[in-house]
Formats: sequence, C-alpha cells, structure tokens
Amino acid sequence: MGTRWRGTTLAAAVALALSPGSAAAQPRPGVTIQTFQFKPMPIEVPAGSKVTFTNQDDITHTVTSGTPESRDGRFSHQLPGKGATATVELTLPGVYPYFCERHRSMRGEIHVK
Amino acid sequence: MTHTFGKFCGAALVAAVLTLSAGPYFDPAQAQSSHAMTAMATSSTKAAGLRSGLNMLFQEHIYLAAAATGAALGGREAEFKAAAGALDANSIAISKAIGSVYGQGAEDAFLPLWRKHIGMVVDYTVGVASNDKAKQDKSVADLIGYTQDFGAFLQSANPNLPKSVVADLVKHHVVTLKAVIDAQASKDQAKTFTTLRTAAGHMQMIADPLAEAIVKQFPDKFGG
Repeated sequence: MGTRWRGTTLAAAVALALSPGSAAAQPRPGVTIQTFQFKPMPIEVPAGSKVTFTNQDDITHTVTSGTPESRDGRFSHQLPGKGATATVELTLPGVYPYFCERHRSMRGEIHVK
Repeated sequence: MTHTFGKFCGAALVAAVLTLSAGPYFDPAQAQSSHAMTAMATSSTKAAGLRSGLNMLFQEHIYLAAAATGAALGGREAEFKAAAGALDANSIAISKAIGSVYGQGAEDAFLPLWRKHIGMVVDYTVGVASNDKAKQDKSVADLIGYTQDFGAFLQSANPNLPKSVVADLVKHHVVTLKAVIDAQASKDQAKTFTTLRTAAGHMQMIADPLAEAIVKQFPDKFGG
C-alpha cells in the first residue's frame, strides 16, 4: 500500500514538472512598466528567451528598440494602458537598448547572454 | 517682443531646464528635524510638514514660471535666464520631494515628466510672443494631453490619487498659468497679478490632495 502511494506521488510530481503551465515550469522573463519606469533595468536573459513587457501604468507606453537618438528597428510595440503586454524574442547575445516613444526619458536595456 | 527674441527665449529656457543640475533639496524627513526639536512635536507634525512643504514648492513653481514668462515677454534676457534657472531648481526640488517618498527611480522618472510641461509652457509663451496662433494652440493641446500623463504617473505611484482627478487639477493649473501669460502679454499689470494669485492659490488644490494621499499610503511614516 505504502509503495503504491509513493509510486503514484512520484508519477504525479514528474507530470507536474513537465507540464508547460505548471508552477515548476521556468517563468518567462518579464519587464514591468510602472510609474514611468522599466523594471528591472537592465534585465538579463539567456539567448533565445522571450521577454514579456507588462504595462502597469494607466497610460499608453511603447517598447521601442534602440534609443530615441538611434532607433534600430528590431521591435516596436504599443502598450495601450494598464494590463497591456508585448513580447519580444532575442536570439543573439548582446545589449539591446529600448525606450518609450511617448516618454523618451524612459529607457531600458536587455542583456542577452 | 520680436519673433526672433521669442524663439531665442524658448530655446534658452529649454536649454536652461535641460542643463541645470543643481538645486535645493526638499526632504520631508529633513524638514521634520527642526520640528522634532520642539517639545511638542508629534507624529501629526510630519503630515503637516509634508503638506506645507509641497504647497511651498508648488506655489514657488507658479511664481518662478511667471517670472520667467514675464521676463521673456518683456525682452529682459538676463532676468529671464536667472528666472529660468531658479524655475529649474524648483523642478529639481519637487522631484526630490517625490523621490524622498517613492525612491530614486521615481525621482528620476518624475523630473523629465515635470520638465516636459515647462517646455510646453515655454512653447506657448513663444507662440504668444511671436503672435503665432497655431503654436499657441498646439502648446495648449500638448499641455492638456500632458495632464493625462501626469495623472497616470501619480496614480501609479499612489492608488489614492485617481488619474482623472489629478488630470483635471493639473488642467486647471495649465489654464490658470495660461491666464497669467496672456495678461503679461497684454501688459495688463492689474490682471497679471490677480491671475498670478489665482494660479498660485490653485496649487494648494494639487499639493493638499497629494500630501493627504501620501499620508494615507504611508501612515507609519507620516500619520498622526
């Protein structure tokens, strides 16, 4: 009886770990936009990661790659209000600056390792 | 006031607000130290100190802004530069007050946001000085749009400050300051100073709710 219980528990634990939506799955790296700031700044992620931006301000922000002085055209997403999200995927290692087009003092960096 | 000088004033003020980096520091905690020396000091003194400090800074913003726009419209270059410098020092002090409550990141985010509306006021003043109605209209539209950004910032920092309420209060700030600039441009001295008192007095409508919301948010730090 005891052996059967342990076996069932182990199988359940493995299934849970392999489930894409499980708590054991790796969380997707994310940047929160709050009080007109990108947090964390910078964010470090492994190559190939998808980074999700979530707007917590009740105003439109953008996540635009490059700097206001030198856009690089890699990505530009509008996040129109609280709760809006956007995801970018960066495959090559490097430092990727980004900013908000509406509030150009808002700047961030993604460090891809 | 010539068109050229108007443009110069605008550019100079923008340059001034962008390059100045030093200014007085308002720290509610520091402001408390003198109060704390008194035997009658209580925790409610902290809330009062915060409210009076914010009122002082916001009213100073009006008087210095009017000094700068009045000098610009009157073609008094040296006076304008000095007023613009003092106005930016006030902006930095307001940002530090925000930072003393919400941290360095919020301070760093607030300062350019606050300076942005000063740049728009400069644009409006340049539009008035150069009799450029399109520029005036665009500046007013930009300022009205800005009120939404400012409201969103404060709501994000403090949920006790609804965005729409803050935006309306800041809109009234814009309207009352615009009245001062218009009176200055028309060289109506009596109206200049009555509108100036109105504009300065209105800042209490921003400072008081902000102070109250901060006290509500951080009762252990400021509450009585």
